[in-house]
Amino acid sequence: MATYITRRLIQGVIVLLCVSFICFVIFRYTGDPVVTLAGVYSTIQDREEIRRAYGLDRPVIVQYVSFIARAAKGDFGNSYVTRVPAFGLIMERFPATVELVVTAVILALVLGTGLGVLVSLKPYAATNRLIMAASLGGISIPTFLIGILLIMIFSVYLGILPPFGRGETVTIGFWRTGFLTRSGIAHLILPALTLTGYQLAVLLRLTRAGMREVLTEEYIKTAWAKGLSPQRVIFKHALKNVLIPVVTMSGLMLGELLAFAVVTETIFQWPGMGNLLLKSIYESDQPVIVTYIMLASVIILSINILVDITYAFLNPRIRYD
Amino acid sequence: MTKGFMKSRLVYDYLRDPSAIMGSSILVLFILASLLAPWISPQDPYNLEKVNLEHFLTPPIWMADGQAPFLLGTDDQGRDILSTILYGCRTSLIVAFGVVLIAGSFGVTTGLIAGYYGGRLDALIMRMADTFFSFSTTLIAFLLLGMFKQKGVLVVIIAICVADWVRYSRTMRGSVLEVKEEAYIMAARATGTGDLRLLLKHVVPNALPPIFVVMAVDLAVVIMTEATLSFLGVGVPITEPSLGMMIALGKDYIYAGMWWMILFPGAALMLLVVGINLFADWLREELNPKIERKAYDRP
Amino acid sequence: MKKMLSTIFVGILIAVLIGFGEDAKGASSIVVGVDSAPITMDPGGSNADPNFSVMANFFDGLLQRREDGKLYPALAERYEHPDLLTWKFYLKKGIKFHNGNPFTAADVKFTFERLKDPKCCSEFMDIGNQIASADIIDDYTIVIKTVTPDPSFDQNLDYLFMMDKESTEARNQGKVGIEPIGTGAYKLVEWVKGSYVKMTANEDYWGGAPPIRDVDMRPVTESSTRFAALVSGEVEMISGVPVELYDKLVNNPKIEVVSRPGRRPIFLALGNKPGAPWADMRVRKAMYMAINEEEIIAKVMRGQASPATQLADSAMVGYTEDIKRLPYDPVQAKKLLEEAGYADGFEITLAGPNDRYVQDEKICEAVAKYLAKIGIDCKLDVKPKAVFFPEIIAGDKYDFYLLGWLSNTYDYRQNYTFLFYTRGQEKGYGSWNGTSYSDPELDKLFDATDGMVDKKERRAALEDLSRKVMEKIGVIPLHLGLNTYAVQKAAEINFTPRPDRWLIFKDISKK
Repeated sequence: MATYITRRLIQGVIVLLCVSFICFVIFRYTGDPVVTLAGVYSTIQDREEIRRAYGLDRPVIVQYVSFIARAAKGDFGNSYVTRVPAFGLIMERFPATVELVVTAVILALVLGTGLGVLVSLKPYAATNRLIMAASLGGISIPTFLIGILLIMIFSVYLGILPPFGRGETVTIGFWRTGFLTRSGIAHLILPALTLTGYQLAVLLRLTRAGMREVLTEEYIKTAWAKGLSPQRVIFKHALKNVLIPVVTMSGLMLGELLAFAVVTETIFQWPGMGNLLLKSIYESDQPVIVTYIMLASVIILSINILVDITYAFLNPRIRYD
Repeated sequence: MTKGFMKSRLVYDYLRDPSAIMGSSILVLFILASLLAPWISPQDPYNLEKVNLEHFLTPPIWMADGQAPFLLGTDDQGRDILSTILYGCRTSLIVAFGVVLIAGSFGVTTGLIAGYYGGRLDALIMRMADTFFSFSTTLIAFLLLGMFKQKGVLVVIIAICVADWVRYSRTMRGSVLEVKEEAYIMAARATGTGDLRLLLKHVVPNALPPIFVVMAVDLAVVIMTEATLSFLGVGVPITEPSLGMMIALGKDYIYAGMWWMILFPGAALMLLVVGINLFADWLREELNPKIERKAYDRP
Repeated sequence: MKKMLSTIFVGILIAVLIGFGEDAKGASSIVVGVDSAPITMDPGGSNADPNFSVMANFFDGLLQRREDGKLYPALAERYEHPDLLTWKFYLKKGIKFHNGNPFTAADVKFTFERLKDPKCCSEFMDIGNQIASADIIDDYTIVIKTVTPDPSFDQNLDYLFMMDKESTEARNQGKVGIEPIGTGAYKLVEWVKGSYVKMTANEDYWGGAPPIRDVDMRPVTESSTRFAALVSGEVEMISGVPVELYDKLVNNPKIEVVSRPGRRPIFLALGNKPGAPWADMRVRKAMYMAINEEEIIAKVMRGQASPATQLADSAMVGYTEDIKRLPYDPVQAKKLLEEAGYADGFEITLAGPNDRYVQDEKICEAVAKYLAKIGIDCKLDVKPKAVFFPEIIAGDKYDFYLLGWLSNTYDYRQNYTFLFYTRGQEKGYGSWNGTSYSDPELDKLFDATDGMVDKKERRAALEDLSRKVMEKIGVIPLHLGLNTYAVQKAAEINFTPRPDRWLIFKDISKK
């Protein structure tokens, strides 16, 4: 197992390099950053001067190598738009995204599995059928539509929840949190609900499907026959096995959302990393985009490695040699 | 043969399950609607000569300012909503099937190779998957837009494929890994069956069922992804709206009280996706050997 | 024991939650929702109007512009223009920066020379490179010489904000971009990027302390969210009312909408390469007359625009009122096409951005429809500005596109040199002339104005130039968007919109 982990880590670094290289190369064919840097009123000579000053006239390979060399020391270059270090810019927004995503995933996990278990016990009861239908709806609405509808209902018509921003935040050390203020929590509600929607529905359905499989297994029937209380049967025996795919799915969701909760952050003007990515894409802010993708890569890769390892522990039939 | 047997039981179960029939009927309905769009829609929304700004923002026909022939009202360019929905289904479905076919074939092939041969090849393919999965589809769509210098349905399809093939690959690989260890495979190998024959005749047919489920679910996922890309401005061109694009365009008007621009396309999109999901659900259960259906599903 | 602990815990929780409530909105504070976020606190870091809008509160320039669009003294109490290349400024005495440092000529020299550095101020390089020298005569007098004669040089001085030499040199670029130290009416309290900018009044401001003490500026780029923010009471004022929601706000009894004609003409650039159908004057006229601009203003812009007649706005030197729009006449347009030999029409591609101007994409769609009705097959190629603008600047890709141009110099010279002058390396002009439109006669007329010293003569010459450009239909002008703002009536905000869309809070007050 140790060799497996080491190998995955090394491969991870290679993936990281590939990802950044692809990013770099593709940017050659898309928007010209010199225009962003030089501004609207510059002349052709000004732009050439800027191109030279930023080293953008060198061949792509040279630019890439020097970027990696500096990145290894922790310097990811400065944003073309704001001229502050790209890494710092992204990390500044990290707490905001983390708080939003973690809240959403926990909500989805708790409510999703909880409801999933409930529903699987009596699948034909009216309320449970309703819940299943709702979950079907939940995976069929695009996230941005949920967000827009929530804003319309709760902010515009009812006026009880704020439609954008994080509200008042408190800074502890370098972490800016919204959990400690009433307005911070109020601002978190709508975006978290929007983000949760799809994930909750997915986890609910996954749990229910898993429970259905497990509840017909022999060992569960044995447990019932033994006269164990329903709580023990469900929570101690059935749920444990259902949780494997549920937890792995949550892990993958966490990784993906951390990296790309773009739409929700855009609609609610949530000052997170996804919002920054979108803005940087539209401004052709290459240093920020490349740094961001590398960071996203690291997050997703690490979570994938953890998930694969966990899966190998839990399912002895899978062999990694 | 195995295939023949599965088919007949599949069909039998299908005909007895209401959600399966409903789901697939909805899908077929949408496909028909989009194929027949040029003949059944009241207006050709892509023909710039026929669309008039003076008809813009008319509400559905049953409301006070509604006008015929605009049954469901018009958008802010004067396009008939109903017609645009019919044509929009077409765009949405083309993107969805396009991605599923392309990403599906690529993903299944790579997953098969990775799962069966293992070792270096497996690591290579899986790491490739990790690489492409790290790119946000939005970013890819934007980059492709910059490369091709113009929007188009093909650009969107490619953009979504880049990250989408990964789910097919991983699923196929997992499935192949499990099938590989089955007794009948080892038996076939022991009798000296060649690799290719083994793959095509034994491994693939048995590893494929989960893929069908993934395909069905993916259809829905791609339609929603395309809607999101259009919402962010990097989707299909505005002259060929998809359902998602219509929702994106309609969102600006929802606060102004012109709900028809978002409600109808939104409902159409949801209906389509729900239909696909219903069918996918049924398929997943059908192809899953672990559930004792008879004992559990008492109607 | 457990019970006591949990009670204490709950008590603390409640106290915390109650304690950190939201700020009350009072008579000396204001919360504004703006449509663009500030990018940097370094006045040399960005030349985008939304950034200037924020900078103008922390900094001052040598001159300032008021709501009428005219220049008035600010940090410089007067100035002279003794010869074509020289500008002499006499600075106000006794002004201090936020950190207590006195404002002197050394700071002016430093600020101007800093504009040449591409690493910090790449967007100002065109001005930086125009400065040949900045000579300090004494602490309050400074002489600036330009490289070439530039009669409109002083028009830039309202957005070249003066920085404190000592503290800027002492800090690294990152710090300069976060902490503004200027002479302005407000000091920065806190800037959380993407969330808010909080500022508080500078009590020692040389122009008198501003009436509103605390300002909370929040960027909300999504237009429907901005609308929701105003209606829900989260903010008291918004800039940039979304066009589709204008009617809703006007009809809302709690909200007042304030608007003002904007200064950015939106137009269709059309190339004139010999041999192309659109090089023919009749075709150009036909295209102009085929477009129903009134309907575009009414339906696409929802009334939030006024028709444009030329590529200049009324506040600009070079604008002349005697240019009239060609009438909307599709029948005549079709006739002209036939005369020119294009009875079957022709193909053309209309390009444009989809994330820059109000309703840009929709305007393009509408234009394509009008052209289709006279037989011109118009294809659309609309894309994000980050892709589109570099293509324009690289040139030679499009013959027909939508663009808007806001001149920060209030002088036609800039419009002409960037948008019309034949592309060529020697003078570096024509960098936004993406269609490579070229008319050497007009260029010559323009060159003559550079040497003119007499302001009246120059103005007349520029007006003549503008007239001639429109006679040749150098571009098809569309409209000038309205700048709209909306305020909560209950907040009783007193404010007059500025032509440059800046929000200068010292000029805003609450009753």
